[in-house]
Amino acid sequence: MKATSQRNTTPILHAEHLCKEVASGERRLTILNDLALSVFPGETVAILGQSGAGKSTLLGLLAGLDLPTSGELSMFGHLLAELDEDGRARLRAGRVGFVFQNFQLLPTLTALENVMLPLELSPRAGAEARAREWLERVGLGERLDHLPKQLSGGEQQRVALARAFVTGAELVFADEPTGNLDPDTGERIIEALFALNREAGTTLVLVTHDHALARRCDRSLRLDHGRLTEMMTLDEVSA
Amino acid sequence: MSRPALRLARFSARGLARDLRAADVRALFVALALAVAASTMIGFFLDRLDRGLTRQASQLLGGDLVLEQARPFDDALRAELEEAGLVLSDQIDMVSMVSFDDAFQPASLKVVDDRYPLYGAAEVDLGEGVETLARGPAPGEVWLAPRLALLLEAQVGDRVRIGESELKVGGLVEREPDQSAGFGSFNPRLMMHIDDIGDTALVQDGSRVEFELLGAGPPDLLEALTPLLERLRRDGVEVRDVRRDRPGLGNALERAERYLSLAGLAAVLLAGVAVAMSTRRYVDRHLDTAALLRCFGATQGELSRLFALQLLWLALAASLLGAALGLAGQAGLLALLTAFLPLELPPPGALPLWLGVFTALAVLVGFAGPTLLRLKKVSALKVLRRELDPLPASAWLVVAVASAVFGGLLWLYSGDLGLAVALLLGGLVMLVVLWGLGRLLLAGVLRLAARLPRGEGEAGLSQALRLGGAQLARRRTASLGQLLAFAVTFFAMAMIAMVRGDLLTTWQAQLPEETPNHFAINIQPHEREAFEAALGDAADARSALYPMVRGRITAINGETPRDAVPPESRGDNALRRELNLTWRETLPEGNRLVAGRWFDATAEGGGDWFDEVAAEPGVATVPISLEDGLAERFGLGLGDTLTFTIGADEVVGEVQSLRDLDWDSFRPNFYVIFPPGVLERFGHSFITAFHLDEERRELTRELVRDFPGVTLLNVDAILAQVRELLTQVTRAVELVLAFVLLAGVSVLYAALTASRPVRAHESGLLRVFGAGNRLLSRVQGAEFAILGLASGLMGALLAELATAGLYLAWLDLAPRPHPWLWLALPLGGALAIGAIGHLLSRDLRRQAPAASLGLLGET
Repeated sequence: MKATSQRNTTPILHAEHLCKEVASGERRLTILNDLALSVFPGETVAILGQSGAGKSTLLGLLAGLDLPTSGELSMFGHLLAELDEDGRARLRAGRVGFVFQNFQLLPTLTALENVMLPLELSPRAGAEARAREWLERVGLGERLDHLPKQLSGGEQQRVALARAFVTGAELVFADEPTGNLDPDTGERIIEALFALNREAGTTLVLVTHDHALARRCDRSLRLDHGRLTEMMTLDEVSA
Repeated sequence: MSRPALRLARFSARGLARDLRAADVRALFVALALAVAASTMIGFFLDRLDRGLTRQASQLLGGDLVLEQARPFDDALRAELEEAGLVLSDQIDMVSMVSFDDAFQPASLKVVDDRYPLYGAAEVDLGEGVETLARGPAPGEVWLAPRLALLLEAQVGDRVRIGESELKVGGLVEREPDQSAGFGSFNPRLMMHIDDIGDTALVQDGSRVEFELLGAGPPDLLEALTPLLERLRRDGVEVRDVRRDRPGLGNALERAERYLSLAGLAAVLLAGVAVAMSTRRYVDRHLDTAALLRCFGATQGELSRLFALQLLWLALAASLLGAALGLAGQAGLLALLTAFLPLELPPPGALPLWLGVFTALAVLVGFAGPTLLRLKKVSALKVLRRELDPLPASAWLVVAVASAVFGGLLWLYSGDLGLAVALLLGGLVMLVVLWGLGRLLLAGVLRLAARLPRGEGEAGLSQALRLGGAQLARRRTASLGQLLAFAVTFFAMAMIAMVRGDLLTTWQAQLPEETPNHFAINIQPHEREAFEAALGDAADARSALYPMVRGRITAINGETPRDAVPPESRGDNALRRELNLTWRETLPEGNRLVAGRWFDATAEGGGDWFDEVAAEPGVATVPISLEDGLAERFGLGLGDTLTFTIGADEVVGEVQSLRDLDWDSFRPNFYVIFPPGVLERFGHSFITAFHLDEERRELTRELVRDFPGVTLLNVDAILAQVRELLTQVTRAVELVLAFVLLAGVSVLYAALTASRPVRAHESGLLRVFGAGNRLLSRVQGAEFAILGLASGLMGALLAELATAGLYLAWLDLAPRPHPWLWLALPLGGALAIGAIGHLLSRDLRRQAPAASLGLLGET
C-alpha cells in the first residue's frame, strides 16, 4: 500500500508547526522546530536521523507520551493538547502498540503474561487465547511460560512484537526495533514486524537510523536540525 | 463489584502473585505480618485480661453493686432496687473478739444471709477436705479462717463464743468468692449467718459496724440506676459499682501492661520503618511497569488503584498470618501468666483482630503511601528515556505522613493523647537532630576515608575501609536514609531491652530478699523496747516501729468533709472510717516527697506549732504530710486543712507536704503523718514489719509467747505470690521483646534488600576495574560495619533520651544512665549489620559483572 493512495483520507496522525524545546542549563535547546507531518491509515513511515537528532523525542510526541512546546498535534482526529495526561492514555488504550529498542518486557512476567499486559487494560473475551495465538504467530508458541531472562534478545523482541499487535492496534510505533540485536536477528525481526503489520493492516511509524530498514517503508522522512524532510523512494526516483 | 473493578482486582492479585518472588515484597510481607502479630498478640491478651477482669469483678466485689454504710439500709431503698430488677443480699462486716476456752482473738466478722454469695462459690473444709460451696454458713454455725482456728486452737465441731452467743464451728473457709487479693484486713475471718447476729448483741447503737447491701443485675440495669447511685453517694453511702470499681491489677502488672503496649508500638514502628524501606525498592522496581502501563493507556487513577490493590492484598494476607501468630503469641503470654491470674479468661474477642488489620493498613498507608505516589506520577515517556524517573517523594513528606499515622496509632494504643503528641514531637525533634548528626558523620567518614593510607595489598583493611567509607559517603541521601532507619531500629530494640531490664531491676529492688514477711500490730508503748530487743537483728532501719493513733477526719478546710470533697469521693472509705495516723521525724523509707517540704522543727518558725499545740490543744494548726493519692481524690493541696477527731479531742493539720508511696511495699504505710510532739498525748500502739528467714521462724513463737497482746501476721504466702507474679510477668515481657527483636531484624533485611541493586552496580563496576572477590567482600563488610557503628551511636543517643522521658512520663520509674549502651549498640550494630549485609551480598559477589550492572532498575 503506497502513500500516494492514502493522501485523500483523514490522517491518523497529524502535526503542524511542531516545536519542542528543552532546558539545557540556562539555555533553551530546540530539538524540533516547526515540524509538520501527516501519517495516513495503513502507511508505514520511517523517520531517519543521526543519533541525538531528536527521533525518540518526536516519537514520544507523536505517541502522546509527551507534549510539544508549541504546535498542533492530533491522533485519531483528537487534538492531543486538548487532552490531559489521562485523556491521552485513554486514547492510546487498545489502539496504539509499541516496539522498543530495549524490548521493555517486564522481567517478572512470562512471555504470555507480557503479551497479555495491554489486554488487561482493554479487556476483551479470550485474552489469554489471543495472546497465545499472537505468540504462536511470532514463533514462540513453545516458550509461553518463559521469563524474559530465559529468552534471547531476538525472542524478547518477538514477544514485544506480539504485545504490540495483540490488542488489534491501529497504530504501532517502533523505536529502533533492531538497535539491540545483531544484523541477522534484526533482519528476522524486521521481516516479522512488516509481516504482522501487513496482516493486521496497521499503520506503522518507525524510528531508525538504518537506511535499509527505512527503505522497506512506504515513506521515509529525515529528521535534521529539528525539521523533517521527505526522502524520495526508489519508485519515485525512477518514475 | 463492577466488571472493571473486578478486572482490576484480578489483575492486581495476579501481579502480586508474580511479585512474590521479589525480595522487597517478601520484606514488606514479613514487616506487615510482624506489625499485626505484635499488635494483635498484645491486643488479644490485654483484651482478654480486661474482659476477664470485668467478668470477675462482680465476683470479687461480691455483686455488681455494693452499697455500704454504718446503719442498716431502709426498706424503701430495698424496694426501689428490687423493683429495678436487682437481686439483693445483706451483709454485715465488723470486728469482734472471738474466744474458745482461754484463747481470745480479734476476728473480722462477715455476716451473710441465705442469698450469699451472689456470684462464685466459697472453698470450705467442713471436716472432710475442701469443698466448693455456693452458700454461706447455716444458722447456728460459723466458718473460721484456718489462721483463726489455729490461733484459737479450735477445730470443726468446737463451739466458739462471739459476743453473747456460742456457735458451732461448721467449717474452715479457705477461700471466699468475694475476697479480693491482698491483706486488707489484719484480723482473720469469721463468717456467720445473719439470723444469729441478734443473739450476739454485738450490733448496738454506736458499734462500729458496716452494713452492706449487695446487688446482682445486668450492666444496663446499673446504668439505669446511675441517678439513684449518685444520690446515695451524695448521702454518704459508699457505692461500689462493677463498672467503676474493678479491682486493680497492682503496680507490677500495670507497668507490665504499659510495657507490653510500648513494646507492641515499638514493633509497629520498626515494621513501619521496614515497610518504608521495602516500599522504596518496590516503587523503583515498578517504575518501568507503571510507565509501560501508561503507554498502553492506563490512567493515573488506574495505576494508583492497581498498586494500592496489590499492596492491599499483601496487607490482608500479612494480617491473616500476623493474626494467627498473634493468637498463638497471646496464648503463650497467657500460659506464662496463668499461674498468677486468678481468673479464667474469656476467649479472645474480634476487636484486636480488626485493630491488627487496621494497624497493618495504617502502617502501609503511613509508611508507604507518599513513596507509592511516585508510581502514579511516572511519565509514559520513561519507556523511551529511562532516566525520566519521577522525583522521589520528599523525605520530609514521608516522615510527616508516617509520623502522623504513627502518632495516631500511639494515641489509639496508649489512649493518652498528651503522651502520643509528646512522643511524636520528641521523636520528630530527635529525627531532625539525627539527620544533622548523620550528615556530619557521613562527611566525617568521607574525609577519614580519603586520608586512609592506600596500602600495599589490594585487599588490605585500609583499602577496604577507604573504598567502603567512600562508597557510603558518596551515596549520601541513600546512606542517610539507611543510617536513620538503622538508628531508629537500634533505638527501638535497645529501648525495649533497657525498659525490660530496668523494670526487672525495679521489681527486684521492690521486693528484695529481706522484704518484710511479718507484720506486728498492737505493740503497746511499754512493750516497745522489749519487742525491739526481741526482734534483734531481724529488724533494721527500714522496719522501724511506727506509732499509730486512730482518728477520723471531721472537717476539711472548716467544712464537713462530705461538702468539701468532690461528689465522687463522698463515699470514700477514708471519710467513713478512722484512719491510722502516725508521727515521724524523718520521711519513711519508700516514701517520696512530691510537693511541699518535710517537717523541720529547727527551721525558722518550724517548731512554733509545738508550743501552740501545747498551749491550746485543738486550736493550733499543725503541719501534716498527706499521701498524694488521697489528696487527689479529695481535691486537696498544700495549705489545705484537715480536722481530725481523736478520742474526744480535735487536731487541725495543715498540709505541708504531699507524699507518693508504694502501697505494694510490704511495709506500714500511712495516709497522714504528723510531726513528733502532737499525737503522743493520745493513746497509741505501734506497728512494724520485719523479715524473718526460714531458720529464724521459731522467733515468732517466742514473740507470741512473750507478747500475747501483739498480733503477728505472716505474709510469706502473699509475698511468694507477688514474686511468682513478677517472674511470670518477666517471661511475658521477654516473649514480647523477642517479637520486637524480630521486627528489628526485618528492618535490617528490608533496608539491605532495598540497597542491593545499587551495591550490585558498584560491585560490578569494581569487578570490571579488576577488584578481586576478597577486596569486594572486605569493601562491603567495611561499608556495612561503618553503617552499623554510626547508626549504633545514633541509636544509643536516641534510646538514652527516650527512655529517660518514658520513665518520667509513663512508667513511673526513676531515669538512669546506661553506659554499656554506648559501647554495646555501636559494636553490636557494626557486627549485626556487617554480618547480615555480608550474608545478603554473598550472591552479588559471585555474580558476573554484566549481571550485576544489569540489576540496576530491574528486579
